[in-house]
Amino acid sequence: MHKALAAALIALACAGNAAAQSKNLAPGFVSLPKGAKVALMPTDIELFVISAGGVVEPKADWTEAASKHFKDALLRKREALGFSAVELSAKQADEADEVNALHGAIARAIAFHHFGNLQLPTKDGKLDWSMGDSVQQIKEATGADYALFSFVRDSYASAERKAMMVGLALLGIGISLGVQTGYASLIDLNTGRVVWFNRLMRPSGDLREPDKADETIDALLREFPVAK
Amino acid sequence: MKRRRFLAGGCACGAGLIPGLVFGQSDWSAPARFARPDAATDEGGLWAMMDREESRLRRSPFTLRDAQFQAYIQDIACRLGGEHCPDIRVHVMRTPFFNASMAPNGMMQVWTGLLLRVENEAQLAAVLGHEIGHYLSRHSIERLRQARSNSAAAQIMGLFGVVGLVGQLGVAASMMAYSRDHEREADRIGLLLMHKAGYATDEAAKVWRDLQLELKERPDGGSRNPLFSTHPAPEDRQQELAALAATFQGGETNAAEWQKRVQPFLRDWLVEEVKRGQHEETIALLTRLAHDIPSRPEYLVARGETYRLRGASEDLDKALADYKMALAVEGVPAEAYRGLGMIQRLRDQPAEARTNLLRYLELAPQAPDAGMIKSYVEELKS
Amino acid sequence: MRKLLVVFALVALSGCATVNKMESGNQNIGERMTLTLEGAWNHVALPNQGPGQTWTMEGLPVDTLLIYSGLKDGEAIHRPGAGGQKSFNFRATMQPDEIVGLFEGFLALDGSQFQLTKLEPATFGGEKGFHFEYQLVRKLDGVTLSGMGYGTVSKRELFALVYQAPRLTFFSRHKDRVEQIARSARVKT
Repeated sequence: MHKALAAALIALACAGNAAAQSKNLAPGFVSLPKGAKVALMPTDIELFVISAGGVVEPKADWTEAASKHFKDALLRKREALGFSAVELSAKQADEADEVNALHGAIARAIAFHHFGNLQLPTKDGKLDWSMGDSVQQIKEATGADYALFSFVRDSYASAERKAMMVGLALLGIGISLGVQTGYASLIDLNTGRVVWFNRLMRPSGDLREPDKADETIDALLREFPVAK
Repeated sequence: MKRRRFLAGGCACGAGLIPGLVFGQSDWSAPARFARPDAATDEGGLWAMMDREESRLRRSPFTLRDAQFQAYIQDIACRLGGEHCPDIRVHVMRTPFFNASMAPNGMMQVWTGLLLRVENEAQLAAVLGHEIGHYLSRHSIERLRQARSNSAAAQIMGLFGVVGLVGQLGVAASMMAYSRDHEREADRIGLLLMHKAGYATDEAAKVWRDLQLELKERPDGGSRNPLFSTHPAPEDRQQELAALAATFQGGETNAAEWQKRVQPFLRDWLVEEVKRGQHEETIALLTRLAHDIPSRPEYLVARGETYRLRGASEDLDKALADYKMALAVEGVPAEAYRGLGMIQRLRDQPAEARTNLLRYLELAPQAPDAGMIKSYVEELKS
Repeated sequence: MRKLLVVFALVALSGCATVNKMESGNQNIGERMTLTLEGAWNHVALPNQGPGQTWTMEGLPVDTLLIYSGLKDGEAIHRPGAGGQKSFNFRATMQPDEIVGLFEGFLALDGSQFQLTKLEPATFGGEKGFHFEYQLVRKLDGVTLSGMGYGTVSKRELFALVYQAPRLTFFSRHKDRVEQIARSARVKT
């Protein structure tokens, strides 16, 4: 218990000032214009189960269900969020591959530096990243003004592992239950700017059930720049 | 004669009654084509992951994009797969290592390192047939089930490991360590498939023998090579293969066709191989290839490059010898002249160096290092 | 509560790395090299890193500028162990193509594919040196990066800059500034 507490204190010390305002918004960006067209990039979701021995396995049925729940929840939210959604066809998604991969790298940079504890001084604490004209292709393919990217990795402990956790906890040994990491980002397709970004990293949410999926979407889309 | 017709029909009925037959000849027949498993099953999980991995693979910059060549390899795999042909999808990946793998969803990867190493179609067929053997016997699924239930020790799962897992699992699934029984079974099925497709089965043992020759040049004798765990070739296994192959008669190697097809890619593959920096293994490999296929000077030049790179005490002389030998063969790549010129430059032979470096620039004016070589030529003038 | 602590512990695991702002103007790198910057850069100091400095504008997953100042004969271009079974060691007698080969070998360790597109003589640090350009297809995510470098060997020590960023949009964004830094480099003899 003491070790973990000490680790937490170190973490907080290194993190510095973590409670910045509008950490999720690019400077000057407040909200989506009403009726904005948002291209929904195919969500990159994978769900895993951790067996008793710690072996992590993909769970296709969970992942399929999660993808569906995520998309449904997103579409449900769009009215509340005030935008009209455009989905990419499989062919369009394929063609946007290089841009997708590039976005992944930018997202990692934002998650690691801006939301992590290694801020880049030249960014001045601001969400100041742009993909420039590399997103032209998505704009041309969809006619949208913005693109929403999302990424989720979630792992769940099997029943056996949960039992083992309890057993080990009694001995004072903690092992991980499961973790949910992810991000959602909104790109202005005219400028390539990342106008909104949210990172998720917490003990697992639950995308396996539709009702719980809503909660994860809420967490992921926390402080989404709702159209006013 | 009788046996062959038997095999062509793929019929196993009554086969067990034929006395004196080594296993593998007739008491095995391919299962029916596989249907997509239920998403809720463990196999379904693996299948879906492989599907996603495959769409990534298709778009990957590491895929060799030459439709004609891909079709050629696909055709070999198809003929081996027989009725399963429609389910097998070949992806040629630009990676300088000996490997081929097949996932339970039918996705087959063939790495260019393998294509560099085999000397004819039959040898490739041996490896692909072996992989199809794993696929037809559903070994991957067995392995996954085993791994899960055998994990006795509690492994603390690194959380960062989870995030990066998709890519890792993709590799792990294709390089899963099969048991010796699995390997044996895949070997036998592979030979059968080879034979059915009309290939000479004695080429199979050669592949593993050649691979071992190469790997034993490693400091650890190849014992810790991860590829060894998926395609191990201990002596007794080779002997088994050779004995089995002896029971089949005839078959083709299609060496001429093979060499014609890979020739356009040889230079790139050899550069990738030399770049690995595993000099001893590369030299062993290139020595074997240069010996077996003397009509292609590329192997000698690549070996020369390797010696020049390694630069140990007698290496520069060995490199010179290789370059000079290669020059005598038609179609020698420009690198031979560069290699000669660079060594002569080091050894204070300016006139010879200039001549050879100029020849290199003549043959390869668009080479990336042309600027650098030009400046050497200028220096050597004075 | 326990769950939250696990998460915090993880954050701590990433180590207490720091980022320093490299302001415009003269910067001394090591004992023998100065660079003159026009516009600030971010110097990321990771715990347990190699002999080169790592700078970035957009973040490590996107672009990196590696700076070597006075790497000695026999020293590796990376931290001990990072080369796996191999060690990519600089030798003072190396030709430009061999030095480029060190970076090529190291960058390709994880299966990424390195393709040299240019190698030519150039002045660097006020000394006779070399310039190279390359493309790297990153294994991790399949992103294609464009890269360039400058180097020189002075008094048996290596001085070099290597910059890489995604070929789409990003490389051209900061390339000119890197060229400017390279031109400004001075090595004390």
